[in-house]
Formats: sequence, structure tokens, C-alpha cells
Amino acid sequence: MSIEQAALLTVLGAVVFLDQWPAFQSMLSRPLVVGAVVGVVLDKPADGALWGALFEAVYLGLLPIGAARYPDAGLATLAGSAVALSAPASVAPPVGWAVAVALATGALGDHVGGFLRRWNGRTAVYVREQVTAGDLSAPGRAIAIGLLRGAALGAGVSAVALTVGLGGLALVVSTPWSGPLPRSVIVLAAAAALTVNGTRLFVDGRSRLSAWGVGLVLVVAAFGLMG
Amino acid sequence: MQGVGFAWAIAPGLDRLYPDPRARGERLLAHLEPFNSNPYLATIGIGFALRLEQEVARGSAGADYRLSRLIKALRSSLGALGDDLFWVAWRPTLGVIGAAVALATGSPIAALMYWIAYNALAQSVRWRGVRAGFASGAGIARVLQDPFWSRASGITKTAGAAASGAVLGGALWAASSGGLGGISVFFFITAFLWLAGLRRGSRGRWLSPSVAFLVVVILLSVVVRVSAGGLP
Repeated sequence: MSIEQAALLTVLGAVVFLDQWPAFQSMLSRPLVVGAVVGVVLDKPADGALWGALFEAVYLGLLPIGAARYPDAGLATLAGSAVALSAPASVAPPVGWAVAVALATGALGDHVGGFLRRWNGRTAVYVREQVTAGDLSAPGRAIAIGLLRGAALGAGVSAVALTVGLGGLALVVSTPWSGPLPRSVIVLAAAAALTVNGTRLFVDGRSRLSAWGVGLVLVVAAFGLMG
Repeated sequence: MQGVGFAWAIAPGLDRLYPDPRARGERLLAHLEPFNSNPYLATIGIGFALRLEQEVARGSAGADYRLSRLIKALRSSLGALGDDLFWVAWRPTLGVIGAAVALATGSPIAALMYWIAYNALAQSVRWRGVRAGFASGAGIARVLQDPFWSRASGITKTAGAAASGAVLGGALWAASSGGLGGISVFFFITAFLWLAGLRRGSRGRWLSPSVAFLVVVILLSVVVRVSAGGLP
């Protein structure tokens, strides 16, 4: 990975972290999208799409409802995909190391997100005081500062994750400890995770079970007809 | 920071309604209360608050109290509706479809289509929310009780269930090309992930989906290593 690519991924980390909840929430931070963008940055778009789909399957069931705490799936995907795509083409994809780095990055992103929420909470108290004192531009300033600090934290987490992930990759890539798996097995594992998490999420009654069965039968029939 | 964000979003309206900075500051302060809702439907609350703010500016008796009370009631209703439609239904359904297409084709176009499809609904609701909230005024309950919300969520979840079944069908077909070994591997992974995600009393699941997936990867790597490429 070149310095330019690493810098681009760090900037992407800032955008992904902001998109997760502090700002846009346009789903640029979803694993499917992050994986594809990482693939484009590292000039391996097809592999990026595969790793994005894999992490989308793994993190599909995380729902940001109420006070739920959950790993930062976007930063996890950024680090995991970047590590997987940086392995030499001569070895099998180091899926074990990539998933481990992703899990650790997701947990770190969750902690940093909690820290940012508390920080923003203190800022909100400060904004009230400023508005009470007659400074009506305080909310706008607080939002701008909140975005800047979110971007800095997202970029920081990405930089740490990429450094650790790529540094570790150099040590484990040619050993069994990287979890080398053939591409076909990775696709099967991702499809299994997608099936399990999707079924768990949606099949909650007889009518949805029927829809699930219809989807299954239709696809098998379609493949059967195509031979 | 939705409280600060809400106040910032409503500030241009307050500028027009209250030329006096002191009165504007008092009303801005009233909108700095926490507004914990859904990010896409929060705009309905902004439009609604602006409509009632007009009454406050006209000096209607008790309008500021009514506004404060209704906004508190509205934020949880908007949160519940938005969470059910966007977080529980729309996002994961598109996620299943997008991930399945990406796995099948290996094309990043699937991610682009996912992003466009998600935002087609989310950003249009966000954009139209201010107008809808402002136009509804006291009739905001009708907007919240509109069958559109439950119908859209129900249809989307049914589509998500069908897509999940379709993924299983496609995966079984792909696994069968690897013979009995391929189908066995797929069933092992699926069964392990399913069992790992079962609820364990009141203490949550045995393993989180991501940790369960890591365990699967490690086990598969050991098997591949031991059988030296005997898997599909």
C-alpha cells in the first residue's frame, strides 16, 4: 500500500466515522459501501466488493435502536478490507487476520464513539450557557467543532487500525495463523452469515416464513431451469 | 447532539419570527432540549415546531407550553416510527439484497445501487419532513397514524425475509457445485452461526455474530490446513 493510498483510507475513516452517527447517516459507513470504496482505493474493486459483502453479512443484525451499544461496523470494514486486500496475490486471502483486525477496530470505534458522545454532551451544556449569555451563534459553532473532532477521532482510529493491521499482516501472512482460506469458502461463509442474520432478523411470523420459503424455492427453481 | 442540531436547524425560522435578539435567544434556548429521535423523521418535528413557533410569536396564550409538551411527545413517536422503518426494515433488507448481489457478481456496482436505493427513501423523507410537519400543525397525529409507515415497514420486512430465503437457495446451489463436501461445509457454518446466536436465558447470546464468524473462520482454516486443500 502506498503512502497516498494510506492517506486516502485515513480520510475515508474520518468520513465513515462521521457518517455512522454524528453527521450525515447516508450509509456511506455501511460495510457494503466501505468495502467497495476500499477496493477502489486499493485498485481491487471486485475484491473490495466481496469483503464489503462479507462484513455486511457479519454486521447485518446490529440495530442502532435506543441506548444499544454496538461495534463501529464501518471502521471495522475499512481496516479488515484494507488488511485483506493488502496481502500478496500469491497467498490465500488471510481472512482470519482480517476478521480479527476488523473486530478489534469495531470495538475500538465503539469506545471512541462513546467518548465522543460524552464530549458532545458536555459541549451541549456549554452551548446552553452561551445562548443564555446572549451568544446565538453558539449552536452553529458547536456543530462545526463537533464535526471536526469526530473527523479527527475517525481518522485517528483508522490510522491506528491500519498500522497495527498491516504491520501484523507482514508477520502472519505466510503462516497458518493468518487463517488462509480459498475464495470459494469465504463466499460460502459470507452467504451463511447473511442467511442466518437475515432469517433471524426478518422471519418472525408465519407470513414472513412463507415469504422466506418462496424466496428459497424460487431461486433454487431458477438455478435449476438455467441448468 | 440532536438537541443542539435541532436548535441550529430551527434557528433560521426563529430569525424571521423574532427580530429582537433577546426574544430569539429565549426561544432558541427552549429548543436546546434533548431531541432524541430518528435522524430521518426528525425533520417532521422541525416543521411542526416552526408552525407552533408562529403561534408563540403571535402571543397565543399557553402556546410555548403546548409546543414544549407536544415536541416531547413527538420525538419518541417519530423515533419509534423511523427506527422501525429505517433501522429494522429498510437498511437490513437492502443490506441482504446488496450483499447477495455483491457475493454473486463481485461487482462494486451492488454497493452503489444499495447506497442510491437507501437514500432515495431516507433523504426524500428527510427533505419532505419539514414541509409535512409544518403543513400538519395541530393535525400532526394524522401524519403519525398514516398507514404508510406500518405498511412500508411490513412490506419491506417481508421482502427481507424473501431475500434471506433466496440467499439460502443461491448458496445451496453454489455449494452443491463442490459436491457433498461443499454442502457439508455450508451446513456446518450455517448451523454453527445459528446455534452461536441462540439466546442464553436473559444474558444475551452465546456469541455475538462477529465473534461467531471469527470462530468459524479459525475452525475452517484448521480444517483446510489439515486436509491440505481437500475443501471446495
